[in-house]
Amino acid sequence: MSTPVVGESQHQIPLEFANEEESLKITGFWMFLMTDMIIFASLFAVFAVYRSRVAAGPTPDQLFHLGPVILETLLLLTSSFTIGMAVYYMRKDNLAAVYGWFIATIVLGAGFVITEVHDFVTYVHLGATWHVSGFLSGFFVLVGTHGSHVTFGIMWALTLLFQLRRRGLTDITRRKLFTFSLYWHFLDIVWVFIFTFVYLYGKF
Amino acid sequence: MSDSLQQHESSEESMEPGLEFLAPKFESEAFPWTQIMGYVFSLVLTFAALLLVINHAMAPTLLLAVIIVLALGQAGLQLGVFMHLRESRGPAWQLLPLALAFFIAFGLIGVSYWIMLFKTGVS
Amino acid sequence: MPSFVPYLIHTLFPPDTRQPTELGADFMILVSGAGIFFYLQHFKKWKWLWTEWLTTVDHKKIAVLYLVSAVAMLFRGGVDALMLRTNLALPNIQPIGAVEYNEVFTTHGTIMIFFMAMPFIFALFNAVVPLMIGSRDVAFPRLNAVSFWLFAFGALLLNISFVIGGSPNAGWTGYPPLTEIAFNPGPGESYYFMSLLIAGIGTTITGINFLVTIIRMRAPGMTLMRMPMFIWTTLCTAALIIFAFPPLTVALGLSLLDRTFGSSFFTLAHGGMPMMYVNLFWLFGHPEVYIVVLPAFGVFSEVVSTFSGKRLFGYTAMALSTVAIMFLAYGTWVHHFFTMGAGPSVNAFFGLSTMLIAIPTGIKIFNWIFTMWGGRIRMTVAMLYQLAFIPTFVIGGATGIMLAVIPADYQFHNSYFLVAHFHNVLIGGTLFGLMSGLYYWWPKMFGYKLNERQGTWAFWCFAIGFWVTFTPQYLLGLEGMTRRMYTYPLGFGWHELNVISTIGAFIMGAGFLILVYNIYYSLRFQDKDLTGDPWDGRTLEWALPSPVPEYNFARIPVVNDLDAFWVMKQQGVTLASSLRAEDVRELELPRNSGMPFILGLGFFIGGFGMVFEWWPIAIFGGLIVVGSLVFSAFDYNDRKHMPAEVIRQTEAGLGRLQA
Repeated sequence: MSTPVVGESQHQIPLEFANEEESLKITGFWMFLMTDMIIFASLFAVFAVYRSRVAAGPTPDQLFHLGPVILETLLLLTSSFTIGMAVYYMRKDNLAAVYGWFIATIVLGAGFVITEVHDFVTYVHLGATWHVSGFLSGFFVLVGTHGSHVTFGIMWALTLLFQLRRRGLTDITRRKLFTFSLYWHFLDIVWVFIFTFVYLYGKF
Repeated sequence: MSDSLQQHESSEESMEPGLEFLAPKFESEAFPWTQIMGYVFSLVLTFAALLLVINHAMAPTLLLAVIIVLALGQAGLQLGVFMHLRESRGPAWQLLPLALAFFIAFGLIGVSYWIMLFKTGVS
Repeated sequence: MPSFVPYLIHTLFPPDTRQPTELGADFMILVSGAGIFFYLQHFKKWKWLWTEWLTTVDHKKIAVLYLVSAVAMLFRGGVDALMLRTNLALPNIQPIGAVEYNEVFTTHGTIMIFFMAMPFIFALFNAVVPLMIGSRDVAFPRLNAVSFWLFAFGALLLNISFVIGGSPNAGWTGYPPLTEIAFNPGPGESYYFMSLLIAGIGTTITGINFLVTIIRMRAPGMTLMRMPMFIWTTLCTAALIIFAFPPLTVALGLSLLDRTFGSSFFTLAHGGMPMMYVNLFWLFGHPEVYIVVLPAFGVFSEVVSTFSGKRLFGYTAMALSTVAIMFLAYGTWVHHFFTMGAGPSVNAFFGLSTMLIAIPTGIKIFNWIFTMWGGRIRMTVAMLYQLAFIPTFVIGGATGIMLAVIPADYQFHNSYFLVAHFHNVLIGGTLFGLMSGLYYWWPKMFGYKLNERQGTWAFWCFAIGFWVTFTPQYLLGLEGMTRRMYTYPLGFGWHELNVISTIGAFIMGAGFLILVYNIYYSLRFQDKDLTGDPWDGRTLEWALPSPVPEYNFARIPVVNDLDAFWVMKQQGVTLASSLRAEDVRELELPRNSGMPFILGLGFFIGGFGMVFEWWPIAIFGGLIVVGSLVFSAFDYNDRKHMPAEVIRQTEAGLGRLQA
């Protein structure tokens, strides 16, 4: 496939879309996000059905503390903003600013994962393992799947950081950063629903 | 779904496609106001839901509906502001599958819940 | 002897796997494995195998790989079927016992759906979709290879269960609590979950790949309403795949967590709910029915139009009904478990939505018939399958409507009536469609036709064998014979019908043998097809030489109408007659990569470790997977150049370059 020549003069559409092959990958990534969305929808369905099936274990209201959850929400919403800024500066060809916002995103994401793991460990120490009840199984797997997505995202971001260092902002690295941002915002959306439907609804 | 554009895209043997006409579809601002406002609104929506729940502001069913609507608003915000939803090369092909995905996702959750209520009249 | 050796033998080869049939299979595997090894060694073909096949990213070669796997799996699933029918041929005979019967019907269903029908469909997709839309490849060639290797290693994982560790035995649906560790210890069910998870990831990627290929890579001028009908059905199949496989992944994953890590999703105690698995499984399972049948509809639409010498009747209605089926397919899943007792309103809703699907399907049937009406029909093998398909599928659909009537379903449920119904649609619809496509596109894939005379014999064996097998099963179902029973006593009046059914199964088996001989014979003795258009075809794939060169199109055609190649022929300007040397440009093609194979191998090793809960092996496999992904992320060298001169020489050699 040929790459349309996008010189300085007609530098109007972002490189990651100007290159046809890279733009295909963006479309493909959207499709991937939809499959992931249905994965999370299935897990939400499981959680919705199992929410009241607490067996001998704790109820959502007894288990959850909103403190760490609010912290996690803040970290993730802010990281969603920072990766948005990274993409904004990517389109301005400002590599230094991209580094700054991108690294901030990784740090915030790591903060989120650490808080969540700490939260999970607390629950397990209270004896609330996923063996105890259908509700806890649904909870740990839904929230844990999201958490492992974030963890995977951090590892992806690290490999991407190396590529940016080595190659700068080419059409390929730009497309990779753009798809990473799609992934990251998508996880933010999923988290908002977890926050709403798992934690807030648990506190009714 | 436009096809004149499709011709431009795939005909690599023809002259280099002029892509400039697509440029207005892509975001370009001198200062990232959109991102900043998006961030502020996302915080507002989150804390609105949080405060409503902490204060038990309304009846549970209504409250659930309201916070889900707030979450949907948040999702729309992320998609529209941060995910550059409408940007694409040619027709925005992601929109139709995305609408279908939302429909199926919510249908799947709602209908599964309905089925698993086991409201058995006869069995 | 070190102490771990008896442990290994006991774990890998428990008493279950030391039955005569398993030992026979062991022997067969060893002999054929050794045969392949010595063949490759003797003819020094290892390098050829690696560079031409294991690392290929060319969609046409991946199609061949899929096809070979699918035919091999058709053999395995078919042998399973014959074992089942033999066990039921007469009352109280048990050539294979109850335990083994359970294993065999489980692998029969699993293999036929996931490892025969799916790869067969992907073989056809890969073979013709890029050619039909005038594209040089699929959107993501390397991911396409990843899909294949995930499928292949998933299939391998399921197949070795028979000889190593023990087969799954809870049916192709794998319902809990029967699959829970408390009731089903041993590796069998873990094999089932793990292999389907791995293959399912591959399938999802294929869905994404073809969706993007079709929406983004069509030739200039090919609008949605100028796409061949096979492309429409592929598009809808891909959309079904990307939304249907995730619930399966979740259902399988949660079962595996229950079995291996002690969570409480589908357990009977601790607030688990086995029926939730059933719900998730059929959220996938019903769209899956349309995933396997829509491509067959597409094949028939192409075949009927080509061999009637007419444009497809009611093209727009066909396209819309395909889309309608796609939508409705998501809304009918509860009809697989009406008897669960979800309540009258739920059952009524899903009964109605099920019946609704008959409308778009009926539209299609009428359109095929009207396409033939007044056409000059050529009775090729592909067309014979089409003709057999129409009445068979109509009856299968009609019994489906009977099953959708809820009170009646309480009678039919899990009886042989159901078994006959779904074989009626899966064989009469999917398998006939795939066979039709095989005979139709074989010359495009390999450059020569399959022998039509032998193909006709195979066809009659399949068609007659089908009816002889499954008509009695409808009656058996009405007489109360339930599904999955391994034997039955004399005196129920089931005796004669079972004998007839078993005879039919062996007639179909004979059909398979003729098919294999047909392939062998045609490979040896059939003449090369030099035109590239042996059927007087209508769509763009026939505009190319057979077999198709690596770059597909030397120059991308411009499409002005439906049946693009037919129109070109009418106007006398085909690709072959109009290519000039200056039209040919240098191309960039995807470069071969070993990454997909290594990735699949990593999944296989990791999956094997998970099945036996040998964590070091599982982690090792996982590290291979991560390593391949990281390698791929840093590999920017995934394209190669093909100089214009090479293309010119190839085209000139085919006589397709004008001076």
